[in-house]
This record gives sequence, C-alpha cells and structure tokens, in this order.
Amino acid sequence: MQRIWDLFYQQFITYGAYREVLEGLLATVEIAVFGLLIGVVIGTLIAMVKVMPKYKRLPRVLSGICTVYVGFFRGTPMVVQLLIGYFVLLPALKIAADAVTVAIVVFGLNSGAYVSEIMRSGIQSVDPGQLEAGRALGLTFWKSMFSIVIPQSVKNILPTLGNEFIVLIKETSVTSFIAVTDLTKAFRAIGDANYEYIIPYLMLAAVYLILVMLITLGIRIMERRLKRSDRRA
Amino acid sequence: MTEELKQSPSEEVLLSIRGLKKSFGSHEVLKGIDLDIREGEKIAVIGPSGCGKSTFLRCINCMEDPTAGSIFFEGVDLADMKVDINVHRQKIGMVFQQFNLFNNLTVLRNITLAPVSIAQKANRKRKVRNFFRSFLNLFRKEKKPLLPVRKSADIRAEAEKRAFELLERIGLSDKAEVYPSTLSGGQKQRIAIVRALAMDPDVILFDEPTSALDPEMVGEVLDLMKKLAEDGMTMVIVTHEMGFAREVATRVLFMDDGQIAEENMPEAFFTRPQSARLQDFLSKVL
Repeated sequence: MQRIWDLFYQQFITYGAYREVLEGLLATVEIAVFGLLIGVVIGTLIAMVKVMPKYKRLPRVLSGICTVYVGFFRGTPMVVQLLIGYFVLLPALKIAADAVTVAIVVFGLNSGAYVSEIMRSGIQSVDPGQLEAGRALGLTFWKSMFSIVIPQSVKNILPTLGNEFIVLIKETSVTSFIAVTDLTKAFRAIGDANYEYIIPYLMLAAVYLILVMLITLGIRIMERRLKRSDRRA
Repeated sequence: MTEELKQSPSEEVLLSIRGLKKSFGSHEVLKGIDLDIREGEKIAVIGPSGCGKSTFLRCINCMEDPTAGSIFFEGVDLADMKVDINVHRQKIGMVFQQFNLFNNLTVLRNITLAPVSIAQKANRKRKVRNFFRSFLNLFRKEKKPLLPVRKSADIRAEAEKRAFELLERIGLSDKAEVYPSTLSGGQKQRIAIVRALAMDPDVILFDEPTSALDPEMVGEVLDLMKKLAEDGMTMVIVTHEMGFAREVATRVLFMDDGQIAEENMPEAFFTRPQSARLQDFLSKVL
C-alpha cells in the first residue's frame, strides 16, 4: 500500500501531474458550464417554437426542424457526436478550433435538445387557464407568455436544469475521445505511468462526486428560495 | 309579448352570432347557433353539463376557434382568422370558473397588467410613427403634427388609480399588494371580475363564475354581478344559479345537444317551459 501511495505521490507532485489534473478540472467545468449556457439558449428557442400556436405555416416548419434536431441529438450517443464534430465536420469545413471548443459546442448542441424538453414541459405544466386569462384580456400570445406563464414555469424548470448540469459534468469524461485533457484523462495518465490505477481512479471518482455534491447543494438552496416565494403574502 | 316589450332593451345589436358551429375532431359540440345580443342585455345560458354552453361562450371571444359560422362584433367578424383578435378581446371581458388570476403577480398588477401593456404598446407605436414623421417633416413644406405621446409612468399611474377605484368598489383595496394565493375563492373571483372591468369592456362573458366557490362565497360574487347588471353592463352568463338567472337575466337560453333549444324572458322561461326537455331539466334542478 505504501508503495502504491509513494508511486502516486511521485507522479502527482514530483513529476507535476497535478498540473494536468488542474487543467483537466478546468476543462471539465468549462465544457459543462458553457455547454449548459449554449444548451439553455438553444433549448429556450426550441421550447418557444414548440409551444407557439400552430395556425400559420412558419411555426409548423420551425417545429418540424426542431423535432429533427432534438431527434438527432437525443438519438445518437454524445461520443459519436463528438467524433463527428471533431474528425468529420472540423476538417470538412476547414475550421481551426481546439478540442475543448469543439467539445463545448457539441455539448451545447446536445444539451440544447434535452433542455428544450425540460423547458417545454416546465411551460406546459403551468395551468393553461393562466395563458387563457391573459389572452382573454387582449394580450398577445408572447406578452402573456413572458409576463405570466414563463415566470411561473421557472420554478419547475430550474431544479431540472440543475440535473442537466450534473449530467453534463459527468458526460465530460467522454471528451478524451477527441483528445481533450479532462479530469478522466489526467488521472488515467497518472495510472498509466506506473500501471497502478487504484489511487488515481478512486480519486477521480471522488473529484466527480465532490463536484456533483456542490451542484446538488446549489440546487437545493435554489429550490428552497423558490419555495419561499410561493408562500409570500 | 308584453313582457318582451317591457324587458328587451331597444339598444342596437352588440354581438351577432350566425350559424356558429364547433367540432372537436369528429365530435360536433355546437350545431349551429344564431343569437343577437343587444347592448345592455343580460343573457343567462343554462343547460345540462356537456351540452356545449361553455364551448359556446368560449367561441364568442374565439378562445376556441369556431369551425363554421360568424360572430359579428362592432362590424367585424371575429371568426375570420385574418382579424386581429387581440384588439377585439380588449372589449370582451371574460370571467372564468377557476378565476385564473395571475399567480405570479400581485392583485394590483393582475388588474393593471393588460391596460398598462396595451396602452404602452400603442404609445410605442405612436413614438415610432412620430420618429418617421419628424424625419419626413424636414422635407415637407406643410409639417404634419406629431401624435400625442404619454409618459410610461403616467400610463401606469392612471391604470393604478383606476384599479384602486375598482378595488374600493368591492371593498378589497387593502389587498392590492398581496398575491392571489392568499385570497379566498370569493375574493379571487371578485378581483377577476374587476380585472375584466379595468379594460372597460362592452360585454363580459361569465363562464360558470360561481361553480368553483364554496357555498358561503357564492353570494358575494353574485351581488357584484347584480351591481354590474344594474349599471347596464352587457353580460352573457353561463350558470347553474337558477335563482340568479331568473332575477338578473333579461333573457334565458336553454342549450341542449349543441343547440339553443328554448329561449324566453326569465319569468316565462321558468314558469311556462315549452319543450319537454326543458321541463324535465327544470324539474331536476329547481
């Protein structure tokens, strides 16, 4: 046991592997955070299209496009999307971008598909009578949405959005497929140096666990705040 | 006949409904309804559940789009999809069975949201037109006058003043800053009525306004509706309150199976029902 620990210590501190770990941690958080931000923007747009009244042709065409989009990104593994993005689209479109950027974009596009469903169901869980009352007063669909329905749906959406963030954090472990130095890759490199994997991998799990627990704590605090606003007099 | 002459107001027709039909999928709920609503009339619509009376009411302001037929309101056919329905809905108030107060807004904001945002939207449009006008005026010999523009704060202040007046009328001005979740059903419904009134509508549609209320709160809502009726508001009321219909309505409609089966002045309606179906219905509910 002492030998294993010494090997890890040597690799981690003396040979400076901690730098890669920190870099990996940064990459992981970066990809998840920016991925979620892009996802929220795309998801909001798709959810808007999905809840729009469908009398006219334009919303129906847009809705069709969104269905295809969501179908593709939910129907294929994230790894495959990363591989296509990095090894197919990047060379084909002759774009110079590093792997982390590609990962952020793919994570954003992918989570956009999931976030759109979160938002749509959050909006649709608001009593339809609220929208009706707004429309009956002569407010437009969008005005009723932004002033009445969406503020009420935030309470349903935020906690689920937190879950999506957790999923993204953990999913970043697949970005090593396109040579991103993320947490998983950094710790695997430590193990590879001496073929001693126990400590690096247990530690890797612990780091993910701590990250997720921090987010969970954040969600819980947020939920409590939102609940308090329920009872306001 | 004499009763009809006495009770029916001689004012002009406000809403004219012709051949109104509504289907949900293959199920035809409304099978052709014709009705003229004159200014100041109070029309009670009664009938067994599932007969389409709520659907009929919701078709009048196109909350449900009619499948066929037309609804003429101020010379415009609301059933025409090209019509900007939002403009006309401002003049057709609606009160719901479930109140539908905006849960995320205070009582005051519930009442002022629509008047303020509609006035501000019109104001913005005038500002844009003024911008182009003043630009074009540079090249004009005869300058066109600019449209009057109001301050946003003034619009809000005016709407709030009006809201407080209305709240005062129903004795709830102390509730202006609270959220709907803290109110009783009767208070909610009275505020919902006030919210509709704040738009100065020409007609108010009531969709079973007392059906979701505890019995002890029905009275306060009906009292407010009676006051409205006395003030001359045109009202269409879908209701199960037969006593109220008899007392307040100027005309009572009996709907059955998607059609108006019988219509009459309230006294005659309740004392001398013509059709067997209405006799049967009244014997059950009275």
